Amino acid sequence: MREALWAETLKVRRSRLPWITALAFTVAALVCGMFMFILADPARARAFGLLGGKAQLSGASADWPGYLALLAQAVAVGGLGIYGLIAIWLFGREFSDHTATDLLALPTSRAAIVAAKFTVAAIWALLLALLLAGLGLLIGASLALPGWSAPIAIEGAGRIVAAAALAALTTTPLALAASIGRGYLAAVGVLFALVFAAQVIAALGYGVVFPWSVPGLFAGIAGPDQDPPGLVGLVLVAATGAAGAVTTAVWWNRADHTR
Amino acid sequence: MTAHPLRGAATPVIETVHLGRRYRDVPAVDDVTLHVGQGQIYALLGLNGAGKTTLIRLLLGMIAPTAGTVRVLGADVSAGDRSAWAKVGCLVEAAAAYPELTVRENLDVVRRLRRLPGTADDIIERLALTPYADRRARTLSLGNLQRLALAKALLHAPGLLILDEPVNGLDPAGVAEIRALLADLAHQHGTTVFLSSHLLAEVARLATRIGILHDGRLIGEHDAGDLDRHRRRHLRLATRDDAIAHAVLRAHGYHPEPAAPAGLLLTDERALAQPERVATVLVLGGVPPAELHLEEEDLEAFFLRTVGPRTAPDADTETETRTETRAETGAGDA
Repeated sequence: MREALWAETLKVRRSRLPWITALAFTVAALVCGMFMFILADPARARAFGLLGGKAQLSGASADWPGYLALLAQAVAVGGLGIYGLIAIWLFGREFSDHTATDLLALPTSRAAIVAAKFTVAAIWALLLALLLAGLGLLIGASLALPGWSAPIAIEGAGRIVAAAALAALTTTPLALAASIGRGYLAAVGVLFALVFAAQVIAALGYGVVFPWSVPGLFAGIAGPDQDPPGLVGLVLVAATGAAGAVTTAVWWNRADHTR
Repeated sequence: MTAHPLRGAATPVIETVHLGRRYRDVPAVDDVTLHVGQGQIYALLGLNGAGKTTLIRLLLGMIAPTAGTVRVLGADVSAGDRSAWAKVGCLVEAAAAYPELTVRENLDVVRRLRRLPGTADDIIERLALTPYADRRARTLSLGNLQRLALAKALLHAPGLLILDEPVNGLDPAGVAEIRALLADLAHQHGTTVFLSSHLLAEVARLATRIGILHDGRLIGEHDAGDLDRHRRRHLRLATRDDAIAHAVLRAHGYHPEPAAPAGLLLTDERALAQPERVATVLVLGGVPPAELHLEEEDLEAFFLRTVGPRTAPDADTETETRTETRAETGAGDA
């Protein structure tokens, strides 16, 4: 798989998408920081009008635990979109650029190529989560948020990375959708449907059994009164991730590659 | 379908047996049995939609057959054996490349996936891509993109090249260059080339064996050297009175037929072999020929006639596609 990993890394390095996703996560960190800035001073919140109102609706507290929790929620919800786009791009581009046929009759197996793509997606997701956590620490420090302690920071950063991992796991079926759809369009449609369904199903109270709602619930998006998703939800996410990866590899191996 | 000369000889490089692929009720490839021997340049001719690309994808294991078997370099591709791919280079349908990668990087991707050491410099030079080596693929012309695709197929000096329309997008000089390259690979290095094309003249110059695919079926195979035997020839003549000329020729044992829009056609072997005798007969019969042409069907007309009446040209088109060889003209030449 080493050769395939090298090839996938080169393709990612030459693309603009890593910078676009990094920018998206940077904006997320800045927006969360702005929420803290507003929440820390209610008078300023009123001066900000609608944004201030929304910031108060987030239910976050203007301290380190609240800020780190908000970042975890951002990566859990936004991660599905961003990580989903990454998975769609990694697989769908081979069909949109008509390069898939170059990957099908090689000494390097199709399974190795699929595994390399998922490995790159996982590393990419991790780096984005670390970027968000790092920026969060910097922004939190610059805002002089109260309630700092090393254990809180470590626990908060760990929650951000864990929420990112859960969100990334739920995006493997999008790789399958991009492969079956032979391009971006169908998979982006599936992504929109999943993001919408995750919100609705979580609001209806069934989020713990819907894998795409679980990362948000894990990050505490439903508020402190709600129970975390528990083992069933986490197992469902892991199973979804595994099933998406395996079925994608099986599809690349067995499907008729007519385009 | 003619019997294949390689049957019973050494193991073919490509061997399909009753190969078929159906999409629901539509047979894209139907009962194709073919053998391609080492060092051959086998050209698959067919109209758009004949099944050429489907057959190539079947050979490369990209789609599974619904009937029959495929063996490539001894590997049973239809059973999922991938052992041949290290020795196979391919170009399927349109040339493609990663647009944000340079020519060199695109080749490096293939080189790494093929586990080849070194660099791609040799193949870049061989395909005349050196001036573009560090340009992104998205900026390449169609012709240079095609060169890049061929470079990817040739990078590992494969024993078998499977190429779908390999000269698409190339200018005439590029076509000649690729033709020479493929001929050199086959003749000097023993590389087997299996290609599909609709460029009949190009195929006639390059291929050692030609298969004609129509509606998914292999309806004919010919050694390129034998094509002349299969092409139709006739003698076309015109006189001042074709009715008298007809009677004179009949009296001398010929079998003239009326030609459109005027004149007569002769397909008798002795007339084709000795057109000057026909002229002599007509002069002595008092109807000297005003025109006498030996016409030979070109490859395109032969191909269209082979694939059947649905796609055969009408009489006018057929006349246009014929190669004319003026053998004798006028009584004075007889």
